Amino acid sequence: MSETAQTSEVEIPRPADDRLRRALFRFRQSKLSMLGAAVVAIVLFFTAFGTILAPYPEHVAGAVDTANRFQPPSLTHPFGTNELGQDVLSLVMAGATVSVLAGFGVVLIGTLIGTLVGAVAGFVGGWTDEGLMRLTDLTLTIPSLILAMAIAAALGPGFTNMVIAISLSWWPGYARLVRGEVLAAREEVYVTAARAIGANPSRILFRHILPNVVSPIIVKMSLDMGFAILTVAGLGFIGIGVRPPTPEWGTLLSLSRSYMPDYWWTAMAPGMAMFFAVFGFNLLGDGLRDILDPKARR
Amino acid sequence: MTVSKQFNVSRRGLLAMAGAGLAAASFPTQLFAQSGSNILIIASGQDIPNFDPHTATGYSASFFLRNVYDPLVRVSGNPPEPVPGLAESWTMSEDGLTYTFKLNPAAKFHSGNPVTADDVVYSFQRALELAKGNSWMIRGIVTPEGVSAVDAGTVEFKLETPFAAFLQVLPWIFVVEKAAVEANLGDDQGQSWLLTNTAGSGPFQVARFEVGTLYHLARVADAWQPAGGNLDGVIWQIVRETATQRLMLQRGEAHIAVDLTSEDMDSLKDAPGVVRVIEPEYRTFSIKMNTEKGPLADVNLRKAISYATNYQAILDAAGYADLMTGPLPNGILGFNPDLEVYRTDLDKAKEYLAKTEYPEGGLTLKMVHVSGLEQQRRWALIMLDSLKKLNIDLEIQPLKWPDMVAACKSPETFPDLFPVYQTANYGDPDNIAFAAYHSSRNGGWQNAVYHNPEVDALIEAGRAEIDPAKRVEIYGEFQKKVVADAPDIFGVLERRKLGMRDNVKGYHFTPVASNAIEAWPLSL
Amino acid sequence: MLYFILRRILLLIPVVIGLTVIMFAIARLLPGDPVSLAAGPNATQSEIDALAREFGLDQPIWTQYFDYLSGLLHGDLGTSLLTRRPVAADIAAYLPATLELVIAAMLIAVCIGIPLGLATAVWRNRWPDYLSQVVAIGAISMPRFFLGLLLQLCFAMWLMWLPLGGRLPIIVIPPPTVTGFLTIDSLLAGDMHTFVTALRHLAMPAIAMSLSPLATIMRMMRASTIEVMGQDYVTTARALGLPRAKIILKYIARNAVSATLTVIGLYFGWLLGGTVLVETVFDWPGLGLYATKAIISQDMMPVIGVALVIGLMFVAANLVIDLLYGVINPKVRYS
Repeated sequence: MSETAQTSEVEIPRPADDRLRRALFRFRQSKLSMLGAAVVAIVLFFTAFGTILAPYPEHVAGAVDTANRFQPPSLTHPFGTNELGQDVLSLVMAGATVSVLAGFGVVLIGTLIGTLVGAVAGFVGGWTDEGLMRLTDLTLTIPSLILAMAIAAALGPGFTNMVIAISLSWWPGYARLVRGEVLAAREEVYVTAARAIGANPSRILFRHILPNVVSPIIVKMSLDMGFAILTVAGLGFIGIGVRPPTPEWGTLLSLSRSYMPDYWWTAMAPGMAMFFAVFGFNLLGDGLRDILDPKARR
Repeated sequence: MTVSKQFNVSRRGLLAMAGAGLAAASFPTQLFAQSGSNILIIASGQDIPNFDPHTATGYSASFFLRNVYDPLVRVSGNPPEPVPGLAESWTMSEDGLTYTFKLNPAAKFHSGNPVTADDVVYSFQRALELAKGNSWMIRGIVTPEGVSAVDAGTVEFKLETPFAAFLQVLPWIFVVEKAAVEANLGDDQGQSWLLTNTAGSGPFQVARFEVGTLYHLARVADAWQPAGGNLDGVIWQIVRETATQRLMLQRGEAHIAVDLTSEDMDSLKDAPGVVRVIEPEYRTFSIKMNTEKGPLADVNLRKAISYATNYQAILDAAGYADLMTGPLPNGILGFNPDLEVYRTDLDKAKEYLAKTEYPEGGLTLKMVHVSGLEQQRRWALIMLDSLKKLNIDLEIQPLKWPDMVAACKSPETFPDLFPVYQTANYGDPDNIAFAAYHSSRNGGWQNAVYHNPEVDALIEAGRAEIDPAKRVEIYGEFQKKVVADAPDIFGVLERRKLGMRDNVKGYHFTPVASNAIEAWPLSL
Repeated sequence: MLYFILRRILLLIPVVIGLTVIMFAIARLLPGDPVSLAAGPNATQSEIDALAREFGLDQPIWTQYFDYLSGLLHGDLGTSLLTRRPVAADIAAYLPATLELVIAAMLIAVCIGIPLGLATAVWRNRWPDYLSQVVAIGAISMPRFFLGLLLQLCFAMWLMWLPLGGRLPIIVIPPPTVTGFLTIDSLLAGDMHTFVTALRHLAMPAIAMSLSPLATIMRMMRASTIEVMGQDYVTTARALGLPRAKIILKYIARNAVSATLTVIGLYFGWLLGGTVLVETVFDWPGLGLYATKAIISQDMMPVIGVALVIGLMFVAANLVIDLLYGVINPKVRYS
């Protein structure tokens, strides 16, 4: 089945910009993907400017206003204030930067490790392939959240430690994906041609093979973004996430648990923000898969 | 009725099953049916570390030991007074060096054997030898040779030095049955055996337990203790979230919740069927500074910070609490309410800052706090906010408690700011003064670095003096000296916050470890 | 068939070895000092050393590892540093709670997800279909712990219909253990009251767990139904004038379900490791809560044990699904 999809792309060659235009057309046709793209655009906007645009930027930096603790939602504080009188909306807006960047960091590092492992395994083959893929399969069977939690707890709280801990459980999916693509690409005509004119193996790998596996990787990355954000929040929720005063959605939500049900609003904004961001990335990823990854299309 | 016998049999079986982690699933039906329905459920966030009366610490252990074991003397009332425990009466010599205790002849262990002077002597010697748990309270005062059995019912203590608070520390040294421990001595003084077994004389004994979940104590069938309520048992249930404790209380799923926050107390205000206990207790919160190494070795910077601190915010964040006035808890013997202490005053803060190496600020300090301890996290954020006004940055690092303790080992590893709760186990100024300001405690978490020979001398004089008037004078001087050194940011005394169902009868508040509930007098 | 099962079981051996090697490496090579953590704040260096000796932690890592492997052959998963209890017994006590939760969640997901998927495929490209697609992605995006909190807020705190958490109130006597599932055990004991109580405790965590698999199963079911509907035999059946309901149920649904099975198997294994947060929210005494407690005190033996057990169950779930293929779709041959 995968062969037919591959060959159909090769048999009917057309200019690259035409392909892009067709993809964009299909993307615009899909209302869900457009919705996803819009949501992701909003989330990314807050990732970039959330800290600046926050109505109470001093609260983001850790300032407190204990005279106004636990104010219910109002015009001045649309999502109320928390146990220290900080504006929940400001914290959540700034939290977008932390959570989305952490999620992106996880996916990026996971992709880098996974691509490296997968590419080497697929390209070198033999025992290296066997060894690396067994390691990949094994890591896949370990429950990823428990693995990430164990590493994060040992490293201690902090943004970088958290990202590293989750990334270390994140790469196997990419390794499998890239290996499969590399194995398929190895047999392509242009690779054989490159080999025939004496290009060295690393050049073949990086110049000829990897660029052609970029689109499935991007699809997987966008599909994974939402889940990575959730995992980051999950670690924060357990209490092994970032250090104070860094606002992070999962940590904010976990703190608000103690104030239920009387001060329920402290939970709403971080929870909804999490949902919104993940929803956007999932819609977008779903749409991108339909367009860029013809094999998965139905 | 042979409750006791049946109970003992099933108890042994149950412990074995609990050990295999199956207690909850295989708990025999008849036990509950037999013991009736008067079971008091206490929701608490702290697991009981082990059952050894001479090594376990924490308020959960205190709860356990207070109910399963007996001390010579108990503490009761408000203000707290020593009342008879195993000892029915006692005398003190003129010089305050010799104490003689007459044991209650009715007292007997769960095994049925009477409690003798030998058991008491053995227990004190064991506590001192192991040097764990609460033994620090009597170290340097009671020696192994200084405790002796005059006859089977009389114990005599010859103290190394007069100690004003002697009767007040006795409630924390519990008596084990010598024969039972010696039969299971092992190579560690029976510590392994006592981890999960008991040899006490208290009104309750272990019926079943699941580590990290619940501890069920059942009333000893023919308990020797006089009076007492109608409880058939007590369950110490581990409920980590305070909000959950509060909701369980509201729903009647727990009778007493011991870890409630101020927010919880607020929302319980109008809850039907719930009684709130909000009482001052000798539980201080302060932030220790590194007086030895780093920028805070400069007393002027410490004073600048002491003036910059937003005390109102600290109080607001604590809820039901009172600001501290100096190092001693409000209302304790010798406490001076008119002491001049630091209050938020930015001008003075800047004045002192100008006298330091950093007249314009521009430095970064490090503060740690116990990860997951919400109140400490809030205070760290308040310090961050306060110090910003002096252009000082604060790096906040949450640490696990053992890592915090490890950081105290030397001035080099001790962070600039270190938040500490101190609960007075006995209502005497010596408790806080000695533990938190005496240089012999350096390297421990209660006083990692601060030392001042003059303060040391005052503390020693204070604990050896028996005349209350003279003690007040000594502690007055002590407070002035400590405030002048500004080793701590003196924070708040958090009030004790307990929630109780209104069907719990016979409860009287005692401001000493009141979260370690004594169940014997209670009824449902 | 027997050969197939046997081979798959033999393949578990390298999985076990690999899993333990990875977890051991993580446990021992990372910073952190679990021994002093377990010894407590007042422990002296000699006490810490003694504890390390008692647990063999002063040995070289290879010796520790082989000791662990040889213990594993006897079903010994080591001892918790913190509670000094055998990990195998702890896991045996906590596993049924997690399994009960996951199975309940999967039951909800399958019972609702498959008919929904079938329905949306049959009525595809109309507005209920579009709506369901958005809702499905929304359901997948909903953080389980946030959903759990919301359910708790509504049904346990505001309406007070359901209990806050736990499996049973502590004063209710659990039924005698047969399966370890409180719902089944109480039914076996004929104790309807306990059964209802257990079910009420199970409801919210199971719903919180089920949402994401439900949506995924629905989407898979929709996709495979659409694929099956394009097959020749369906066209033939339609041409023969068979009743529509019969075609859908007999020809389409049966074949579409078999394609969805893989997802169910994958999800089952994945949910086992994914209960951590929901168990935390609902104080559900399962493996996730157990592992979390151990992780926070860096008590690694329970963590290795839990990872091993979940990893094996993950593999086993896939094996069962492979076998189920044969039952549903006789064309599959085991080789």
